[in-house]
Amino acid sequence: MTLPLLALVKTRTVLLDGAMGTELMARGLAQGTAPEAWNVERPDVVKEIHREYFAAGADVVSTNSFGGSALKLAGHGLGDRTYELNLAAARLAREIAPAGRYVAGSMGPTGKFLKPQGEFTEEDFAAAYAEQARGLADGGADVLLIETQYDLREALTAVRGARSASSLPVFVTMTFNSFPRGFFTLMGDTVVRSAAELEKEGVGAVGANCTLNSEQMVGCVRALREATALPIIAQANAGQPVIGPDGRVGYSQGLEDYVRFVPEIVRSGAGFVGGCCGTNPAFIRAMARKLREESS
Amino acid sequence: MIKGDLFRSINEAIVAGDKGAAVALATEAVRSGVDLLEVIEKGYVPGLQKVGELWEQGDYFLPELISSAEAMKAAMGVLEPALDRNKIETWTGGKVVIGTVEGDIHDIGKNLVASMLQAGGFEVFDLGADVKLERFVEKAEAVGAGIICLSALLTTTMTNQRRLIGLLRDKGLRDKYKVLVGGAPASRKWADEIGADGYAENAVAAVKLARTMIGQG
Repeated sequence: MTLPLLALVKTRTVLLDGAMGTELMARGLAQGTAPEAWNVERPDVVKEIHREYFAAGADVVSTNSFGGSALKLAGHGLGDRTYELNLAAARLAREIAPAGRYVAGSMGPTGKFLKPQGEFTEEDFAAAYAEQARGLADGGADVLLIETQYDLREALTAVRGARSASSLPVFVTMTFNSFPRGFFTLMGDTVVRSAAELEKEGVGAVGANCTLNSEQMVGCVRALREATALPIIAQANAGQPVIGPDGRVGYSQGLEDYVRFVPEIVRSGAGFVGGCCGTNPAFIRAMARKLREESS
Repeated sequence: MIKGDLFRSINEAIVAGDKGAAVALATEAVRSGVDLLEVIEKGYVPGLQKVGELWEQGDYFLPELISSAEAMKAAMGVLEPALDRNKIETWTGGKVVIGTVEGDIHDIGKNLVASMLQAGGFEVFDLGADVKLERFVEKAEAVGAGIICLSALLTTTMTNQRRLIGLLRDKGLRDKYKVLVGGAPASRKWADEIGADGYAENAVAAVKLARTMIGQG
């Protein structure tokens, strides 16, 4: 029987996957199209990407549902297909997941604000996330991964929404900026407060993703380690997007430089490591190698 | 209230993001007959500048920035009708058309820039997100804007910022507008490369940049 993820992470470092959106675009996803639509329209492409990440050594892949909350999909006119697209997202990953590997149901931010900065209530947000969680759970996700949250209030609301629809473990990653005084979200939430509130809400793991490069992530993981006893997730960006001499967009941190900091991220306390913007299966393969070197 | 105290109170109200106080002080200023342009320039504007500084050094975050911008806008709603016409022109920065480029539905950053520009005295025409490039040009032409601001969050959609400049060129309108670009993947280098007039890293910098563009920086 497969060990639950939270049990596995007590025995060794667990490898997550890397970016999805850029992989879809590399395979022809048009600008302005909701990536989640491809769970139904181009399922083979989505499966191929998951397969590549598993082949690279990922223990866990995240479903193609980052923008799959009902509110975010509504921006593409797909709000009423939330359940269907999330169900398909989880099924695709589940179908091709080898034995002993895992599927995390990705749940990104709504892109909207709660009152008073925005027009939405916590009930609106919870409902939008609940509908998504229901689809992901029914499609066979092992855990729900609420990701890239820039507002702790939204993250907490998402957790409650997910809980109302499913009994799966819920993981949360916040996205922090690095300031001289420490790490803060866009809304000014600190690492300490985020970890404490999420822990109180009963999440299975907390962490940081996006925004920070892998070097900055080391400091953020240290701050998280001091703040919580929960398993820690770290998924750094490969630096900042830059325009190459050929006019193509790349990321400032190359593969070698990125993976150089992986051992330190692990030693600083991360139990789950993976990539974010600018990473791809090659990064995950290199991270898998680093993790093997570390444990041998 | 003597003038120095009034300015100080206004300053504090904006820094605190206290909309009620900002409006009450504006009402008091109108009633007392002081020079309203001076009230704006010595009371409100320095308050907003202070907020920008606090934000840039990481003491303030988005909620504080929005509260202060809202307080500023509410106060201007009281002051502007009472200002005489030529003084309004001294204060206002002209018209700005802003939006997130087509193919991109991300609007948090764009909304913040729009809000800060408005608080900073610009008349802002916000076209929203996923805006067709032609719409930017049509709107700018229709309202007589001086500045077009383009936001993009995705590395794949930022190329539409370049396309808009091409579109203006094709229409023979390139020199008529200052085109400013922003968004996570944008940079000064990118702005230079695509021939934009400027790049701002954040909402506070965007207001400064826009002021510079109209010769008020």
